[in-house]
Amino acid sequence: MALIKLALAGEGGQGVQSIAEILAEAAYEENKQAIYIPNFGVEQRGGVSIAFLQVSDQRIGAPKFNKADVVIALSKRAVSRTVRYSDSNTIYVYDSSISVDEEEMPKEAKKIIGLPAIDTANEKLHPRVFNMIIMGAVIGFTNIVSFGSAKFALEKKLGAKFERDPKLRELNYQALEIGRQMAEEALKEGVAN
Amino acid sequence: MQKVVENTKKAFLTGNEAAAWAALAAGAEIMFGYPITPQNEIMHYWTRLAPKYGRNFLQTEDEISAGFTVCGAVQAGKKAFTATAGPGNTLMQEPFSMAEAMRLPLVAIIQQRGGPSSGTVIYSQQEVTLTTFGGNGEGHRIVYSTSSHQEIYDYIIKAFNTAWKYRFPTFVLGDGYQAKMREPLEMYDPEERGIELVKTFPLVGLEGKIGEEREPQHLCNIYSMEEELYEVVMKFAAEYEAISPEVVEYEEKECEDAEILILAHGVVSRAADDAVKALRAQGIKAGYFRPITLRPFPGKQLREAIAKSGAKKMLIAESAYGQFDRLVKQEIYGETIQINNLFMPGVGIIDTDIISKVKSIID
Repeated sequence: MALIKLALAGEGGQGVQSIAEILAEAAYEENKQAIYIPNFGVEQRGGVSIAFLQVSDQRIGAPKFNKADVVIALSKRAVSRTVRYSDSNTIYVYDSSISVDEEEMPKEAKKIIGLPAIDTANEKLHPRVFNMIIMGAVIGFTNIVSFGSAKFALEKKLGAKFERDPKLRELNYQALEIGRQMAEEALKEGVAN
Repeated sequence: MQKVVENTKKAFLTGNEAAAWAALAAGAEIMFGYPITPQNEIMHYWTRLAPKYGRNFLQTEDEISAGFTVCGAVQAGKKAFTATAGPGNTLMQEPFSMAEAMRLPLVAIIQQRGGPSSGTVIYSQQEVTLTTFGGNGEGHRIVYSTSSHQEIYDYIIKAFNTAWKYRFPTFVLGDGYQAKMREPLEMYDPEERGIELVKTFPLVGLEGKIGEEREPQHLCNIYSMEEELYEVVMKFAAEYEAISPEVVEYEEKECEDAEILILAHGVVSRAADDAVKALRAQGIKAGYFRPITLRPFPGKQLREAIAKSGAKKMLIAESAYGQFDRLVKQEIYGETIQINNLFMPGVGIIDTDIISKVKSIID
């Protein structure tokens, strides 16, 4: 597997760091090389949070990168912070519920995709599993880890909560699956919304 | 002392976690510290883990105090250490200078950040000058610049041994990226690997009558005469130079036929390594030279690399504005190789940055 570079950005509380951490853990469990680094400036105290994740079969060099293979931006401010990571090889994904003007979007991208993750979570599942839809979508876009490994890593992180409330496990898995399907369809169609 | 890592195991951790585990595995008995980003988690993990293994922790009122309490603890024969960053490193220069002047086996882990005290809490390589030659002393220190979590683990274990073997303050120089990122490493028990842990010993309160049963223990930090200080510093300088050849460490790749040598240290050397591979694949003969010890510096080995390669050009890449560059230049004074720079103070450097710089130099 060649190097996959992923930048995930959102508002504090949207769970981008958790998603990256779980995916990094899953990649590690698959015996891949993985580097996950959060941005940890003052953004931590209320602002855009970005997670940088790289996964490969080979040793990974620098912990950060200039251009990502996939960028996922989950808020308006996250879009303006992440356009710089997009070039002609990048799949640039934003949540379709955010209103972003054409000129705010990256000038260069392989594909720009609006993904209705927030709306889907709110309408079909539960707002709290919104980030699982995103995690499923990341897998759908990149195959960065197998679905099984992602579930395993999720279990490791949230197993105790799932034991107390098995419905929560079901809900999370459902969200993962929906996210993956959304991504796969979006890749086929080009634009999801 | 209770074994910390029973069997060698793979782990996926942050660099700060790796640092705390390494200090435990090295048999460190006490950490003194004061919180500062991005090294906080070394303290956090240490305070969480230390009680389980009968180790201690003291949070002091500031960094000056954290450094001096380490100075005190090592004189009592305790394997003690501290960790800091940025402005904390500035404040600790006073105790570090004391450790240098008294030949105290102090160990400090530095996770570099950028700018002044109110600067960024993220990443930089801007504490090179401070860590190697900071303070009112002569830079009689040993500084390991790590580039991966495995090295953080390996060199923290080594740092305690180096400090106690030679009695020079010893530093492990990381940075915000290494502190915060997660990557795999292998944790092991040093003794199972055949790494003997150097025994600690008290420097004060020794048995025996001075002058009859034992030599006096000079732990002088007050000099009433210039000549007295002169003699001590000259003696330490000679001892430092004598041990340097066995302490020096470096990494070198593809230098034999290189037309251009790429020099980097710490986390930037990962990008330099990748850049050399990519340039070679494109037919550009690039070589890689990385000092692991910034003090003492592998100057002799670098001169040899220049000589054997016959390279006419060199590129020095660092996330600072020439701090590493100065260390290199003073070591290779008299060489005629053309020196080029890629200075990116406070920001990360990736392989493509180095590749395009090399191409612009060669063309």
